Amino acid sequence: MTTRLTPLALSVVTVGAWGLVLGVLSGRAELVVVVVPLLLGLLRVGRAGSSRDFTLTRTVSAARVFEGERVTVIVTVSATRRVALLELFEPLPPTLRLVGGHNRGLFCLRRGQSVEWRYEVECVRRGRVSLGTVHARLWDRAGLEAGETSIPVAWQLRVYPRALPLRRLPGPRRMQAFVGNYVAPRVGEGLEPGDIRAFVPGDRVRHVNWRASLRFRRLFVTQYHQERNADVVLMLDTLTEAGAPPDTTLDVSIRAAAALATAYLARKDRVGLIEYCGPFRWVRPNSGRAHHERIFEALLRADVMFSYVTQEVALVPRRILPPQALVIAISPLLDPRFDKALVDLAARGFDLVVLSPSPIPLVRRAIRASASADVACRLWTLERRARADGLQRLGITIIDWDTAVPLEAALGGLTRSRRREVAR
Amino acid sequence: MRRLAAVLALILVSAPLLIAPSTSVVALGGAALILCGLGILVATPVLVGGMVMALGEYALALRLAGGTPRLEGAVVLGVVLVLLLETADFGRRAQHAAIGRGVFVAQIRAWAVFGALTGAGALVASAAASAASASLRLPWASAVAAAGAAVALVAVALALAAAGTPSRD
Repeated sequence: MTTRLTPLALSVVTVGAWGLVLGVLSGRAELVVVVVPLLLGLLRVGRAGSSRDFTLTRTVSAARVFEGERVTVIVTVSATRRVALLELFEPLPPTLRLVGGHNRGLFCLRRGQSVEWRYEVECVRRGRVSLGTVHARLWDRAGLEAGETSIPVAWQLRVYPRALPLRRLPGPRRMQAFVGNYVAPRVGEGLEPGDIRAFVPGDRVRHVNWRASLRFRRLFVTQYHQERNADVVLMLDTLTEAGAPPDTTLDVSIRAAAALATAYLARKDRVGLIEYCGPFRWVRPNSGRAHHERIFEALLRADVMFSYVTQEVALVPRRILPPQALVIAISPLLDPRFDKALVDLAARGFDLVVLSPSPIPLVRRAIRASASADVACRLWTLERRARADGLQRLGITIIDWDTAVPLEAALGGLTRSRRREVAR
Repeated sequence: MRRLAAVLALILVSAPLLIAPSTSVVALGGAALILCGLGILVATPVLVGGMVMALGEYALALRLAGGTPRLEGAVVLGVVLVLLLETADFGRRAQHAAIGRGVFVAQIRAWAVFGALTGAGALVASAAASAASASLRLPWASAVAAAGAAVALVAVALALAAAGTPSRD
């Protein structure tokens, strides 16, 4: 513990010295007497406690939460000796916002007494949040001396990206072999009726279409479309980001990825994740609840990692990027290296959709409004449109997503157009 | 706690007006009150400035009024000075902080005890000094000047101690 005199002691001495000077100048004894209590007060210096006088424990109401959720932090202070005045301060990381109570507290404790101090925080941004150190300051009663120390009370909070519910999703053009929720063109075992054909030996009686059979006086059977799942690979651009936290292009991209992963996994699809930074990081496609958690863990650590390295998409193993997969690339299209990767994917025949959260409203929110900012944003909009047109000419579907609009609304137009394409 | 500090600042500034209610004292008192109010809200150095001005106002009032020394009033004013500094400082520390049960009560109790003890001690000291001055004739002005210089040296030493190497346990 570091113990030192506070500025208050210096203030007391200053006022006292000034009183004496005035006493000398005016020749009045009262001014000397006025100073006496100030000087007597200085005798109390040196009674701040020690860090061994108390112990701290911290509990948090939840260890794993989603963005926007609140947690209550409870710090328990137990005194082993009498503590005159204890000031505790817990600095909050920028990803947490104080919503209830205070993250600084003043307590006085008797020997053996325990005090609970609680406050509520809102988790504004995904990530691993460390509530590490509590700063303690032990004051004497007068406030003339204070001892300072930092007490490590480790606690890690995992804040997962908020996944918004999506009812409509871009449907894949190609299905996989496993059972799922998509109606496949191939006939076989399923629920969705397809064509009717003449009965052949070996057909199941329960598939006989009795209405058609009675009309034509021959046995006909109904064929059913198979219901299959799909492989969906989410490709996240973590090369760069724009905007101010907690609403950068990467933040909104990750929220979109979380929403898409949740929705596709709920449809029994296999979902994979590729983090396109300098070196690739990926989660191989799979399904199920455990895999959902795996993807969210990967999204938790996704961050911009500056690198000059440009990896080729061809380097991604086949089991990570299956050839029949629907690839949804989520990128603000700020880095040309990602454009090149998109072109490469399209050239390799992947069913590719690019969801591009527009960085312009996010940046505008972070900067002061001005005429030059307006002009710059308009130019930027034109430049983005030109780049998107260039990619669209290569047959890549691009959804320009204004982040003020819900993701479902942005995907709505695409789902309709893809349905038309599949029908054709 | 800031209200208590404001009341103490008002007492500090208005006490000299009871001794000599002249225009110059009122003007100095007004300025001192503004500085004290700002100091309570903003920072201790501003408050110290206000208190320095209030002491100037007190000295001026005493000079204008003349007469016999008013030692009891001076003792009360001295206690008010200490408590004003400490309450304002504590008020600033308590701002935007969760306050545990009994903190305010314990603090007020400590100030009350300190005020009573210091007041009594100062009264005893001033009575002893009066008694001594009746029997002994010393060059008081130079003695007090020497004490002032000593206090200034102590102030410098404390400032150095505050900025210097801290002690550890």
